[in-house]
Amino acid sequence: MFKKVLIANRGEIAIRVTRTLRELGITSVAVYSDADRNGLHVMLADEAYHIGPPPSKESYLNIDKILEVAKKAGADAIHPGYGFLSESPEFARAVKAAGLTFIGPTVENILAMGDKLASRDLMKKAGVPCVPGTDGAVPDAESAIQEAKRIGYPVILKASAGGGGKGIRVVHDEKELPGSFRMCQSEGLNYFKDDRVFIERFIQNPKHIEVQVFGDTHGNVCHLYERECSMQRRHQKLIEESPSVSVPPDVREKLGAVAVQAAKSIQYVGAGTIEFIFDNKTKEFFFMEMNTRLQVEHPVTEFVTGYDLVKEQIMVAAGKPLSFKQSDVKQKGHAIELRICAEDPVNFTPNPGKIRKYRMPAGPFVRLDNCAYPGYEVPIYYDPMIAKLIVWGSTREECIQRLQRALAEYMLTGIKSNIVLHKNILVHPAFLEGNYTTQFIDQQIAGKKHRELFMFVDDDIFLISAAIEAYNNAKSRDVGDYNLASKWKRYGRLKSMRNL
Amino acid sequence: MFFEAESEGLHYQVSVSESKTHWRVGTREGDKDWVYRDIRKEDYRYLDETISFLYKDTSYLIDVLNKGTEYTVYTRGAYRTFKVYNEEALLHESLKQGGGVGAGNNLSSGMPGKIVKIFVKVGDKLKAGDPILIMEAMKMENEMRAVGDVTVKEILVKAGENVESGAELVTFTKA
Repeated sequence: MFKKVLIANRGEIAIRVTRTLRELGITSVAVYSDADRNGLHVMLADEAYHIGPPPSKESYLNIDKILEVAKKAGADAIHPGYGFLSESPEFARAVKAAGLTFIGPTVENILAMGDKLASRDLMKKAGVPCVPGTDGAVPDAESAIQEAKRIGYPVILKASAGGGGKGIRVVHDEKELPGSFRMCQSEGLNYFKDDRVFIERFIQNPKHIEVQVFGDTHGNVCHLYERECSMQRRHQKLIEESPSVSVPPDVREKLGAVAVQAAKSIQYVGAGTIEFIFDNKTKEFFFMEMNTRLQVEHPVTEFVTGYDLVKEQIMVAAGKPLSFKQSDVKQKGHAIELRICAEDPVNFTPNPGKIRKYRMPAGPFVRLDNCAYPGYEVPIYYDPMIAKLIVWGSTREECIQRLQRALAEYMLTGIKSNIVLHKNILVHPAFLEGNYTTQFIDQQIAGKKHRELFMFVDDDIFLISAAIEAYNNAKSRDVGDYNLASKWKRYGRLKSMRNL
Repeated sequence: MFFEAESEGLHYQVSVSESKTHWRVGTREGDKDWVYRDIRKEDYRYLDETISFLYKDTSYLIDVLNKGTEYTVYTRGAYRTFKVYNEEALLHESLKQGGGVGAGNNLSSGMPGKIVKIFVKVGDKLKAGDPILIMEAMKMENEMRAVGDVTVKEILVKAGENVESGAELVTFTKA
């Protein structure tokens, strides 16, 4: 077993991994950029090393520096978390070449699934259903127009190496196409050094359903059932739950079987997720992509199955077989995760800055994977997600009630957050019934005024509190008794008011 | 004590007076009637962590962030910013800060970020909606477009450059 593991990541996921490492008696090594010296992940790890300036390219994406630090620390394995280098074949290869273990899939696995076009071909061959689209990358806007015409609008443009909401654009008509194509290429080039773009049918009223899979080095592959991640904004997930109320039992079995079949076809090792686009009317599902890493939303699967996925990752990386067989895996109760982000609750623009007050929810069946604290400055350089609130209930209804309760306990001030957006979603009939789609936010929330979202507060509170504070400030600046000093002025004003 | 207050395009008059046990807060939105509320100091308490405000028997935890004449009140995930001022407060602020900030019809950054790509050069005549540049802020790329018909006067940033919140990026003259 490993003695010391370096976590090549930051924020809540670095803390998540640190926790399991500590439980296993493995020394944890954190890394941090200049912007993260005050990060909670640094404080909670056993050891911490500086790896460079704030921009990710010079720190969390700097392979040489991370390996240098890993050697210096004497680590024998590296956990990449999600994002950053987690799906970089160069990194996985370099870790191996340095004589360390990469806690994740094989280089071949990452390569096979890293390219969206190639992975789709691979899945087609393995008998996994795929969405209609272009067979290869589209060279220019002109041919994009031709292809889109053939596939039928609306279409979705995807940067071949894209992910995490980057390099994805939905296009509704030909007029929008050239501009979106250009942006898609630019994002692909900037984030993934790859400007190839392909086009697919954009399925209307779609749901995002994904299946957690796990493989080991002994040829075992299991699935841990589905997660529904249809609640999204800017093509990024906001709420995830397991099980999905839209998936009937027979489709659930089929989803699991197809996912295992897909993972087996590439001899998959470690934690992975196969994402499907799910047509809620026909209950058809199509392969979208496979994420060859631990997902942000893995805790909902941990809650309903009872397995520690990070622990399983570490064991598999150490060459041990999976701790469970397929027949052991049961979905028990219901779990939902809310992503808490430092962003405007209506227009979703990031709102980095200093957190003032911070009170975290707790209590039965509540888990908060968090990296914030009072006085913490959310850096501008990274993803605005500061915490994940995950709750378990014996039924979906109980789970939602518990989430509402937990959100009522959650206090975060000083910056804008989407906590209030979650409160609104949790009482929305479409969410309660479970028949929401990936377009829910666009259709139900976008265009709302902030005040509509703030329905949980008596509007008087704001001005009364601001007035009392302004009064106290003025009083503290003034030498004399303000009520007394302005007595004549006040008298005059009151008098004129009475005359009104 | 009297204040003027502004928030989201609405104007208020505010009066606050204090007794040993109460605050009396009067508010008047626009030209509506004055509304007075007596707030027991007992019900608006400063705890270590935050302010506990019991209002109409409902328990709110609130936090008020004050910057100059701006007060942002946070509670239950909701927030609202008011400008609250009177002559004394404005005088105090102007002494503290000096002159005001001039805003032209130039392009400035709404938040800190990085310039990814610039589409225009000095002298370009732009129509409303033309792309000017792509700026990346917190991992998202945003295309900034011209709001009106303008000519590019100066470009104050380069691709790859990091910019602060409020930094001027491109200046224009009217086309």
